[in-house]
Amino acid sequence: MAEIVLMRNFSNPDSHTLAAYRAGGGYAAWDKARQMEPAAITEEVKKANLRGLGGAGFPTGTKWSFIPKNHTGPVYLVVNADEGEPGTFKDRYLLERDPHALIEGMLIAARAVRCTKSFVYIRGEYIQPWRRFSAAVKEAYDAGLLGQGLDIVIHRGAGAYICGEETGLLSSLEGKKGWPKIKPPFPAIKGAFGQPTIVNNVETLCCVPPIVARGAEWFAGLGTKTQGGTRMYSVSGRVKKPAVYEASVSITLRQLIEMAGGVSGTGRLKAVVPGGGSAAILTADEIDVTMDVDGLKNAGTMIGSAGVMVMDESVSIPEALMVLARFYAHESCGQCTPCRESTGWIYKMVHRIVDGHGHKDDLDTILDVAKRGAGTTICAFYDGAVGPYISYIEKFRAEFEALIPHA
Amino acid sequence: MSETHGATSASSRTPTVRAGLTDPATIRFNDAQLAEVRRLQALYPDKRGALLPVLHMAQETFGYISLEAEEYVASLFDLSPAHVHEVVTFYTLYFRERPGRHVVAVCHTLSCHMAGAPKIIAHLKQKLGIEPGETTEDGRVTFLTVECLCACEAAPMAQVDDRYELHLTPEKLDRLLEGLR
Amino acid sequence: MPKLTINGKEVEVPAGTNLIEAARAVGVEVPHYCYHPGLSIAGQCRLCMVDIEKTPRPTIGCNTVATEGMVVNTETDRVRETRKSIMEFHLINHPLDCPVCDQAGECWLQIYYMKHGLYDPRMKDEKVHKPKAVPLGPHVMLDAERCILCSRCVRYCDEITHTGELGIFQRGDHSEIGLFPGHELDNKYSANVVDICPVGALTDRDFRFQVRVWYLDTAKSVCPGCARGCNIDVHVNRRRPHHAEGRRVARLKPRFNAEVNKWWLCDAGRYGFGFVDAPDRLVVPSQREGGTSTDATWEQGIAAVAGALRRLPPAQIGVIASPKMANEDLFALRRLLELRGVTQVASQVPPRTQGDEDDFLIRADKNPNSLGAELLGFGAGARTVIEAAGQRRLKFLWVFGHDLLAGALPERDVLEALRVVDTVVFTGSNANWTSAHSHWVLPAAAWTEREGTYTNFEGRVQRFRSAIEPLGQALPEWDIIGRVMTLLGESLQATRAEHLFRQLVEAVPAFAGLSYQLLGDTGRTLATAGASGHRGAGPSGAAS
Repeated sequence: MAEIVLMRNFSNPDSHTLAAYRAGGGYAAWDKARQMEPAAITEEVKKANLRGLGGAGFPTGTKWSFIPKNHTGPVYLVVNADEGEPGTFKDRYLLERDPHALIEGMLIAARAVRCTKSFVYIRGEYIQPWRRFSAAVKEAYDAGLLGQGLDIVIHRGAGAYICGEETGLLSSLEGKKGWPKIKPPFPAIKGAFGQPTIVNNVETLCCVPPIVARGAEWFAGLGTKTQGGTRMYSVSGRVKKPAVYEASVSITLRQLIEMAGGVSGTGRLKAVVPGGGSAAILTADEIDVTMDVDGLKNAGTMIGSAGVMVMDESVSIPEALMVLARFYAHESCGQCTPCRESTGWIYKMVHRIVDGHGHKDDLDTILDVAKRGAGTTICAFYDGAVGPYISYIEKFRAEFEALIPHA
Repeated sequence: MSETHGATSASSRTPTVRAGLTDPATIRFNDAQLAEVRRLQALYPDKRGALLPVLHMAQETFGYISLEAEEYVASLFDLSPAHVHEVVTFYTLYFRERPGRHVVAVCHTLSCHMAGAPKIIAHLKQKLGIEPGETTEDGRVTFLTVECLCACEAAPMAQVDDRYELHLTPEKLDRLLEGLR
Repeated sequence: MPKLTINGKEVEVPAGTNLIEAARAVGVEVPHYCYHPGLSIAGQCRLCMVDIEKTPRPTIGCNTVATEGMVVNTETDRVRETRKSIMEFHLINHPLDCPVCDQAGECWLQIYYMKHGLYDPRMKDEKVHKPKAVPLGPHVMLDAERCILCSRCVRYCDEITHTGELGIFQRGDHSEIGLFPGHELDNKYSANVVDICPVGALTDRDFRFQVRVWYLDTAKSVCPGCARGCNIDVHVNRRRPHHAEGRRVARLKPRFNAEVNKWWLCDAGRYGFGFVDAPDRLVVPSQREGGTSTDATWEQGIAAVAGALRRLPPAQIGVIASPKMANEDLFALRRLLELRGVTQVASQVPPRTQGDEDDFLIRADKNPNSLGAELLGFGAGARTVIEAAGQRRLKFLWVFGHDLLAGALPERDVLEALRVVDTVVFTGSNANWTSAHSHWVLPAAAWTEREGTYTNFEGRVQRFRSAIEPLGQALPEWDIIGRVMTLLGESLQATRAEHLFRQLVEAVPAFAGLSYQLLGDTGRTLATAGASGHRGAGPSGAAS
């Protein structure tokens, strides 16, 4: 059983305070990092095989190294606390229970990329996490941890899932609609306010102090060959103990469901969404996969934000798809044509099918439209919609056809 | 399903104004608030970055964001009102009409759906006598259905004003509603 | 200058060229909506996809800069299939308005569907409905359902006019172009959004329901509304006269000229052609005696003018030409006046109110050829001529175009002048107070009805071409003048405007070296432009 790293302080009711964090060894990693060269910090994070935990799974150290070496202007560190992927709630816990872990991670990361001004973008609905994090930032300023080389600006969102997309977040930070930016240029070259920018997820940054304190080798060893460490799995749906669980990234989905008490409802597993709403669904006999970036990629799905939603036999897959299709139609930012037009249309079709008014061509139309749109959009939002559109229908087609008259 | 076909609009927070509440006569920040606006603007490399925070401020101060408030905020940023309107209509947390004294936003995405959100929503419709998106006649409650609030481990759940209310049941909802004056 | 290969053809392009422009350089069309060379890159429509060797998926061309050795293919099966998909996405919620939509015939959804779509539509659900027929301002009509949300109009109002009236509100498929509620699209260049809108979402209110575009003929021309001389196309309706109540000139559109107006045209210039088909057009020569006006023949009119010119000593002849006349007209007039030694000439009538001017295209001087008039010897102000007339020193006065009471000349002096001069001749296209108080009216063809050249304020000489036949018996000024000269025994030796231009080039040093061929479609600056005229700022706005 892997040790608990990210959730180590959660059991302490005062875990969010500076005193408690320090008492548990907090900010020792920052003291160590201050003696390190920025490039050495990045090297350590690379060697640790830390992959982004917000959704894309991109190697964090590699991302940090994209900042142009000869840039003379400001570099920004932007923390993505716009948690919004259905089935995911881990960052909420980190913000509420261990905000100083994030601050310490930010201090170290900012040093690595030579940033003196950072922004934390917290989704607007997260009021309690915002209050907790704001209080921690104040404590850090009062203690001289912040304001002496790093400033943190806390920026509340206003309700848009697309602001969890890296460049959608940057647009929102700049005071605009959360429209993702066309790439190139990439944020590390030209991001927030036109400057080189690193956007990292909350949990990813919380991994950084342990990596610096205990070494890249240790962290890498906790996981798989291509991804180091542990991570926090948000497990919900038809399980007996829905909660956030920390485990090595090498854990299998079967083991994770067991950790969460096993299947509830009928007790018979039907399907699992392994990586947040945008991940392709897995059937009950596909759960012996490792819950790391490459393991799930090879299984035709993704770990994404590690939002695990378990479905038992009584869950209607067409209804589940309708709920997600409604989500994507509502959250599409509208900037580019394929996503804007087809998310609404596909929702209408799935809704009609669930209502019993499906046409026999609808399923193939949905599949074809989804496949045609995938890869053509400005950002990966649509590809995230395509995950469920295609996998739910392809893997549970009979259940859909049963709802369509004369199918 | 309660909603009409197609996605609900982003500004689903345009609850019908039923209560006869008066609007402030003038949409203006006082000196202290203006100082706060300038302070916020100075935090960003481009002052436009402070637009979302200042719109939150406007909503807290004036109760909601009227067209007049949009024009006023635009003037504080040297932005055209059209560009402020874009932002206000894009995000769901900005109310464009005065909401009820309390806002009950029930999540209806996947885990909450599986945990019984439709039943919770039906119960609220019956209890409050309004549809999602509307406000009760007495101006007490605005009822909304919203997308994933990321508290799936405690589904079904809702955001009531500033709080997350977890593990909802019809009984719990009734007690909750009683407490909302 | 990177060298790259497009569809097997090698091409060298300036550094920073995107792939749509690089393809254009070798005659390859990459279909697109949101891209416009005068605006920032949006990358929203996703139609301009191309295949680039070594990239796993098709990439948008607008946001890809050509690099050395790049190998691009715009016609792979994959690109063709992607284009088809993107066309379908664009048409999912698009209303089937073609039968009632002005854009039909020049609509890029129609054009690209026929070229790159041709799929069987399968959208059976209710389309998203949005506001239709919403006037955005005096000139522009919005149909939000037809809008493909390419954002060109929004970027135009931000980047070109810097007025920011338009935005895209809401999100998802409920996204909608619009104004801030209660506001208007009222900048002086508002109608350019109609040109750049690829579809019938933004249409011209003046042109609305007038005539189908496939009935229009077009001629390249120059706007005569001010001294800028923006390049335009004149669209005329000859073939369906019953469609627009006889209105022949249907609309003006800007024509690209990198040195003058780029892609843009001001609203005043765009809508300034109404007088061409207005009821107050002068269409026959006429004579006024004792308060009543009777139609006459050209023979009679020309004879009257020639007679006066032959009979009177030159000092008793005055001519007020116009800076709205073409170089050719003015040169013909100069030849006529030199023939008789007339020196009491002018062209400038100061306006009552100073014309508006900005740092974009609009010039305060609302005449297209002031500099030409000056270079050809007509630069003097009309005041001296009016004074000479009032002092009874003139027995003949020929006025071209002006309504002398509409300017800043003292009303009393004008009234007196027209009262005491024996023979006042008016030549112009439309009736006004001056024509009504002249003894002879010799009708002139409008600028859309003949060809010629203007010299803009920067010394740029530009051709304007005939788009439609002169109305009634109206003639170009140079032709009228030529007929008078013939009766005086001297041939103009010109049967068309170009002949006069050649004579002008020989006779006037400022115009040396020019020819219609050299002027081409975008004009040429006079060699002496730097010395003589004021070189104002060129048009601002995003360069490509």
